[in-house]
Amino acid sequence: MMLTLLDELLLFSGATLLVALFIGRGLAAGWMVTILYGGQLLALLKMAVLGYEGGTIASSLTLEVMGQALSWRFDALSWFFALITIGSALLSSWFSCGAWERSYIRQGGNIWLFHTAMALNVFTMLILLASGDLLSLFIGWELVSWAGFLLMALAGGVAARAAMRYITYAMAGGMAIFGGLALIYTASGSLQLEAVTTAVEQMSGAKLWLLVILFGGGFGVKMGLMPFHLWQAPAYAETPGPGSAFLGAISSRMGLFAILLVLVKLFGIVKIESLKVPFTLIDARDLLAWIAVFTIILPTFTAMKQNDARHLLAWHGIGQGGYMLLGVVVADAMGGAGGLLHVFNHATYQAALFMAVTAVIYRTGTSDLNKLGGLVVRMPLSFVVLLIGIIGLAGLPPMNGFVSKWLVYRSLLNQGMPLLFLAAVIGTLGTILSVYKLIHNIFLGQLRVEHEHVSEAPWSMMIPMLILSAIIFITGLMPGIPLEWIASVLQTVGLPVPDYTLGGVESSSGSLDMIWVIGVLFAGFGVGALVFYSAGRSKRVHQLDNYAGGHFLSADVRYQYSDNFYAGLMHLIGGWYRGSFLWLERGITSLVEFLSLGMQGLYRRANAEFYLLTTALFVIAWVVI
Amino acid sequence: MSATELLIELILMPLVAFVVGMMMVLMMRRIAAKLQRRIGPPFFQPLYDIVKLHSKKTQVSHGLIHDIGIVMAMGGYIAAETLLPVPGMNGIAEKGGIITLLYLMMIPSLGLALGVGQCANPNGSIGIARALTAMLAYDIPLVIVVFGVAYAAGTTNLIDIIAVQQAGGFETWGATQMPLLAIAGLIAMHASLGKQPFEIYIAPAEIATGPMVEMGGKYLGGLFVMQCFQLYTTSVLYVCLFLGGGTNWFDFLLKSFLVLAIPMSIAYLFPRYRTEDLLRLMWKWPVMLGLIGVAFVFV
Repeated sequence: MMLTLLDELLLFSGATLLVALFIGRGLAAGWMVTILYGGQLLALLKMAVLGYEGGTIASSLTLEVMGQALSWRFDALSWFFALITIGSALLSSWFSCGAWERSYIRQGGNIWLFHTAMALNVFTMLILLASGDLLSLFIGWELVSWAGFLLMALAGGVAARAAMRYITYAMAGGMAIFGGLALIYTASGSLQLEAVTTAVEQMSGAKLWLLVILFGGGFGVKMGLMPFHLWQAPAYAETPGPGSAFLGAISSRMGLFAILLVLVKLFGIVKIESLKVPFTLIDARDLLAWIAVFTIILPTFTAMKQNDARHLLAWHGIGQGGYMLLGVVVADAMGGAGGLLHVFNHATYQAALFMAVTAVIYRTGTSDLNKLGGLVVRMPLSFVVLLIGIIGLAGLPPMNGFVSKWLVYRSLLNQGMPLLFLAAVIGTLGTILSVYKLIHNIFLGQLRVEHEHVSEAPWSMMIPMLILSAIIFITGLMPGIPLEWIASVLQTVGLPVPDYTLGGVESSSGSLDMIWVIGVLFAGFGVGALVFYSAGRSKRVHQLDNYAGGHFLSADVRYQYSDNFYAGLMHLIGGWYRGSFLWLERGITSLVEFLSLGMQGLYRRANAEFYLLTTALFVIAWVVI
Repeated sequence: MSATELLIELILMPLVAFVVGMMMVLMMRRIAAKLQRRIGPPFFQPLYDIVKLHSKKTQVSHGLIHDIGIVMAMGGYIAAETLLPVPGMNGIAEKGGIITLLYLMMIPSLGLALGVGQCANPNGSIGIARALTAMLAYDIPLVIVVFGVAYAAGTTNLIDIIAVQQAGGFETWGATQMPLLAIAGLIAMHASLGKQPFEIYIAPAEIATGPMVEMGGKYLGGLFVMQCFQLYTTSVLYVCLFLGGGTNWFDFLLKSFLVLAIPMSIAYLFPRYRTEDLLRLMWKWPVMLGLIGVAFVFV
């Protein structure tokens, strides 16, 4: 039997898992696993034809389960997501080797479990991405859910509680997807991917609605879409540093992959658009778009209120997912490209940000935004990485986040959707506020006495961070590089492809050329520097040599503004949505509890007449209907 | 267009912006003086100030980021000018468009925010927190306005937006076609200048001039240059969106100065709002006007 390229990749990934599983305890294990991730990346790059020209590569493994053929294959969509998965795993694993690993073991962490959980996550994600029919999709989905649980729970304590919450949501989502599969199977008698299309043609409006809700809800849980977002931030934030970077970069994008595959490619955006919400003017596509913008806005403003750097970033991860879905459901050339490009861009800057914060934790022992400050003089390179990351996250030029958000804005403008456009911009503005708080409270302001002797993060952590920063800048300068892959993905899922160039996109209604924009920006900085540095030399003063309204500052005086950072804003909006989603979650929990109590009561009361009565009632109802 | 011509335009556009910007600062000071019954500064005062600040002997730095912040504050605007078409010169306006321009205009403020952050003075940090909050306040109506204009013109390319307005003279100006958006834009523009009653982040009496608290010499000089560019960019952008751009330099400059004179004259009559009042005001009136205006664009 000949091994296909996909077989090689999956075998490589399985081998990585086995190596982590069996020799994951030694200190060299981290490096070995990292090298194996590198091997996986090479195996993936051998399939690069998928990303550039499209087509499919099948695995030679096929199974027959109860008359259903299971198969696995890669196409442009899988390749694009696999590239991000393996890339972020490689860099996160590299980051975890050496210095971080040693400190993790010193603090009582189980490094074997960590490496195994990471390798398992990558392996299961690749299986999910390769799924060639609905059954293998479902199996992959469940595997990914449980692998994610393992990585989230391994820190114990708060993390384990967050992971429990995650797995509860994930299981409910899994059930919803299973329900969707059952619907499709009854309608078409098959679980091949094409079955969705045939089933959709046969189904009536109400059933189609049910299908969209089941799949959208099920996949949406993983993406952290509103109102299923509560699990995500604590679960990602409490994972050990490199794990957060990996999860934040790619994990919840599996939900978007499934939505792209099932709802966009097989179901079809046109079909979704034809589903009207009764008694209103909107259709199912608008509904998804509105869910997306609420997912952008509310978590972003929740992020702003966080006092822990990791939680702040994790909340933003939820919000940024909204942009991806928004772009994809707008579904014109710019929107689709913007949504998918944002998946790539988000992975790069989110991983860099989590790594920079982990580096700060490694040196100072805390990520509490009220207990840091002024670290730029001690950790300048980490500062630069965090700065590049937040510019990307906020979506400002010259970093890559700007390009993907620009595409999403443009699609909303072209389609004439002012409110969605406004909401998307509000999310960006909120992000700018929030990330300034992040960089200010960690790196700017007053350096604390206890951090006087902190030094820069070790090179084993620094190099992956710098690589990510370089990717963030280069793909911001030349978005044409990822757009070429995305063009194939768009073709695969049946969305229109924008007219892209190396520096951006061409369009008769306004183009973007980042090479020019960044060129003039840096020329502007150059002129500014010329003016600034040609003036008299400045003298560097100590941070305590500062204006304090006539008082003298001394080292024991804390002279830093960090708590309640946007007091004026919070004064106005603070009370608007406090905890409303927690109420919703508690409401559902109590409802389930109430129902189960009722059922239990019914079940325990061995009352023959009552059973007879209920059965009779059901029979009559069934006959009548 | 040849590469040399483009290069000359790219150099000339920021230079013109700087000179006009200095004259706008002068106008602002003269208006303030008139309202306060003073004589006001002489013609070259803005230039004297910039030269004086840059040649001060005592230049206090709080570190590299402090310096870079000032460089970014100036450089961001210098770059933004090349995306802003003026009579006879388009620069690289078609390679970016209005959305890119709006985002480039945020870079100076964020550079400044970084620089102020390293000064390690809570007054400065509070100032920046307030400035960013103010940005969240006025950018929301501004974005509605920009959406309306771009959607009506069917493009984000500023050159086309101006061409559409110039097609039929005064009749086709943005302000005549979309008066509600023009009013909302004017209010948002006033707030974006950070003048009274919206100068919450300078607030000399409460937070000791906020971002400027540790700025002296060439640092303050850099901020002065930034203000020249800011006045120019804001008013020219408004002229491009609503007043049909400029057909020649005379009418272009006349429109730019006049439109800037409106918020300036209002500013010196008012005291200062609180932060939450600014948010409430911006999110209520201009947003409402803007949304109605956008609705009219769709009709």
